[in-house]
Amino acid sequence: MDAEDLELFSRSIRHAAEAAGGSSGFDAGAFDASLADLGWHDAVADFPRESISTLFSIQGETNATSSALHRVVAWALTGSPSAPGAILPRLGSWQPPAREAGDQVQVNGLANTALVEAGEVTVPVATAGGANRSATVTVGDLQLSPVKGLDAGAALVRATGSVPGTDAKSNEGDWANAVRIGRLAVGHELVGASRGVLAQAREHALERIQFGQPIARFQAVRHKLAEILIAIETADALLDAAWLDGTDVTASMAKAAAGRAGRLAARNGQQVLAGIGFTEEHGVHRWIRRILLLDEVLGSSRTLTKDLGSNLLASRQLPPLLPL
Amino acid sequence: MELSEFKAGLDAWLDENESALAPPEGIEHLDQQMVRLSKVKAAVYDAGWMRWGWPEAVGGLGGSTLLRAYLGAALTERGLVEPGIYSMTEVLAPTMIDYADPALAAEMVPRLLRGDETWCQGFSEPDTGSNLGSLACRAVRGPDGWVVNGQKVWTSLAHYAQRCVLLTRTGTLESAHRGITAMFVDMDTPGITARPIESMHGHPEFAEVFFEDVVVPFERTLGQEGQGWSVAMDLLPFERSTALWHRAAFLHHRLQQVLDVAPDGALDPAKVGEVTQLLYAFRARSRGTQWRLHRGETLAAETSIDKVLVAAAEQAVFDLAEEALAEKIILEDDGPAERWRSEFLYSRAATIYGGSSEIQRNIIARRLLDLGNDR
Ligand SMILES: Cc1cc2nc3c(=O)[nH]c(=O)nc-3n(C[C@H](O)[C@H](O)[C@H](O)COP(=O)(O)OP(=O)(O)OC[C@H]3O[C@@H](n4cnc5c(N)ncnc54)[C@H](O)[C@@H]3O)c2cc1C
Repeated sequence: MDAEDLELFSRSIRHAAEAAGGSSGFDAGAFDASLADLGWHDAVADFPRESISTLFSIQGETNATSSALHRVVAWALTGSPSAPGAILPRLGSWQPPAREAGDQVQVNGLANTALVEAGEVTVPVATAGGANRSATVTVGDLQLSPVKGLDAGAALVRATGSVPGTDAKSNEGDWANAVRIGRLAVGHELVGASRGVLAQAREHALERIQFGQPIARFQAVRHKLAEILIAIETADALLDAAWLDGTDVTASMAKAAAGRAGRLAARNGQQVLAGIGFTEEHGVHRWIRRILLLDEVLGSSRTLTKDLGSNLLASRQLPPLLPL
Repeated sequence: MELSEFKAGLDAWLDENESALAPPEGIEHLDQQMVRLSKVKAAVYDAGWMRWGWPEAVGGLGGSTLLRAYLGAALTERGLVEPGIYSMTEVLAPTMIDYADPALAAEMVPRLLRGDETWCQGFSEPDTGSNLGSLACRAVRGPDGWVVNGQKVWTSLAHYAQRCVLLTRTGTLESAHRGITAMFVDMDTPGITARPIESMHGHPEFAEVFFEDVVVPFERTLGQEGQGWSVAMDLLPFERSTALWHRAAFLHHRLQQVLDVAPDGALDPAKVGEVTQLLYAFRARSRGTQWRLHRGETLAAETSIDKVLVAAAEQAVFDLAEEALAEKIILEDDGPAERWRSEFLYSRAATIYGGSSEIQRNIIARRLLDLGNDR
């Protein structure tokens, strides 16, 4: 994909995200349909970095919802761009959301509304021997309960239940790769969401007058916003590095940095937006809710950071450095 | 010369020659560090490596700036040079190339590259730190050139230096940044006194410099009269690009050593993880900057983010070292202890020199977030 194609692709995605938004809430189904029309799923296989970074940044920035993460994880797990969307691990975890138990496959993870409608899901399964595989499971065989929780807009559905192992068509599955790619996707979404919060806080700072001047003149406010940008650029740099070196450890660092950037954007952005930002009407709360949710998906900034530190203290060896 | 070819050639050369250039165990005093810096620079210059990435007009061999980034990092990672004193080359040579009379640049820059000379950067004054636009060291036109009177302070390496890139006030004080002129001054000119200042980390790295009727030929003006602010502003991105890449190599080296020596249970895993993420993020950020420089893009305010990150990473690495080696750093006096202590203390300055972290945040707010003026 050259720069011009990418620009066009990016504009189409942004346009689709904006079109799916509206006064009655975001229409995730419509956005998914537009992504299919745009050929996004095939593009993921051909140009993974461009497709994933572009979509998820925009999705985060515009607070859009789709089943793209489930689709990306399914593709990274099975190698097939047409695999049905994957069930994701429970919040905070990065273990496969299903395991073998006797001749059954026990599922406990997160789907979303679009997956449910599609009828079939890809289920990542941890096998008894410690390897991983994937299974295609009929949605009707699972117990489903829509999640409202902190971020109802995310359209998540809790999926649990045991399905007969024989009914599940089984494939090889590269779960580590699925986690790596999934973390990059969520990392981009977190960076996008942080940029979304920053843009709203910045605009408010320039418009809101107190003590006879825009609050953007106050250094305490300026530095809070600068901090957000620094955190965003930190995460973005690590995402870049993770695509370049392709390692699990860099992807995990990038996800952690993105989660931290998101939480900082939420904290500082909310402080600058103050009272108006605390209202239902203003809307920044939707970005903040999404950030808190995304930070937990496939490992939170806190757990990933601690995990990295524990591994380093055990091995006493820093990860390889990104070469020039 | 391609980067891959340069890497392979340089690595092989260093494998063969590093033992002759390596420092002794433990602490080395600044005098010795300066002597070894010259020795290392001369060796890599004579073998050609130091000349790559610099224009032919100043004795270079041409090629990408990436070659310079790689060279400095390789020398740092092997512990052959201390990146702070090495960085003066990366900061001051580009300024000479861009602003000095070409014949002067052609004559002088090779001396800096080869380590025959040390140069310093005379910006800060007793009453002028962050607010560089208020500097007062005066230069007036005399019959034989500029006549300089005033004082600089915290001028790193001034007491070792043969030359100084000096900012002077040639307009009125009210003309602020418009009335500043940069010049290239010989430190042995009559009327200059450089007095080293003892510093907290135990090395007299900087000095106070007094100018009393110092005559500087007009040909030594860098850029035009009144253009000093641009010279300074164009220099700062260099201070935050190649030189910082070298610093990342140094920090990586030291963080690995912290992991090597930290007693079991001394470190909090969450902190180790966070410091590592910060350092790797800085490295990723700086890599992007090196490539932008290589492509000939103009570096500007966005390098303030690089500076904030490197300062944060440096302090985080040495905070961790201090936690891992508290007893050594606080109580012991052997060479390695002295070195850890000195570097830990020096890291405290990372958020001060080269534009404090607060000033960087001001720049980020003003230039990158476009928040308008703050008053
Ligand atoms: C190790 C070391 C090496 C150095 N080497 C050199 C050198 O080679 N050449 C040279 O010219 N100088 C050098 N310096 C000086 C350095 O550039 C200055 O120390 C630096 O610019 C800060 O100036 P200051 O110390 O006067 O602090 P001040 O400017 O007085 O600042 C004091 C505090 O106030 C804050 N502050 C100031 N203005 C603002 C503002 N507008 N908004 C918010 N906060 C503000 C600062 O961030 C700082 O925390 C060196 C300094 C050190 C420590």
